[in-house]
Amino acid sequence: MSIHTALVKTEGQKISLENAKKFIYSGDHGAESIFIGRVRNENSGKKVTAVTYDAHDQAVIKSFKLICNEAKNKFDNNAKIFLEHATGYAPVGEISILIAVGSGHRDEAFKICRYILEEVKHQSPIWKKEHYADGKEEWLPGHSLRPKKEIK
Amino acid sequence: MEIQIKLYGSSKMLSENDTLHVELPENSNIGQLRNSLKKLINARYSKNNLGNLPNSAAFFSEKNEIINDNYKLKNKELISIIPPIGGG
Repeated sequence: MSIHTALVKTEGQKISLENAKKFIYSGDHGAESIFIGRVRNENSGKKVTAVTYDAHDQAVIKSFKLICNEAKNKFDNNAKIFLEHATGYAPVGEISILIAVGSGHRDEAFKICRYILEEVKHQSPIWKKEHYADGKEEWLPGHSLRPKKEIK
Repeated sequence: MEIQIKLYGSSKMLSENDTLHVELPENSNIGQLRNSLKKLINARYSKNNLGNLPNSAAFFSEKNEIINDNYKLKNKELISIIPPIGGG
């Protein structure tokens, strides 16, 4: 098995960097690239205390597998890929997404990592609601999946 | 006929439940559902900054596939509304 994908519910679970490192390790690989996204304490001048992630679970896992397979086909068929994203309430500092890639060479490892991150943002149905220090909260705008020819 | 819409992201402001029930004329399609949602938002949720949702959202069938505006809805069908996404 060369691809691991999951949504991790923040109530009771955490995304594990150690699990990611173990999964992608292989003596065949000369390079490992790891991207960690965390909840940041500021956005557009507003003090953020936490983010709630909502997801269409089945469609997200379907998209994660598709994206990881595309990345392997595009850059390195022998790569090992670990991709997890948080769902639920995540305070500042919590890991929101972890992408780990083991590959033969550094160029492919970096490229796969970046490709997966950008495609997740454009294909995977995940939403963020930011919680602010003043008690307000807001769903963030994003990328529409509606077919472009239909948008008026 | 009645359609059930599973709510995600900002569309959760349309109901306290996970699913929104919408009454539509027989043989309605997704385009007509968008118009119905526009009217609902204008009437009840005009202060929630959801004005662009009916135009920007996609809809998924029960098979998790995007359905276009000509897709004919069936009575009691459960679909998902997919507001603009932004994970990571």
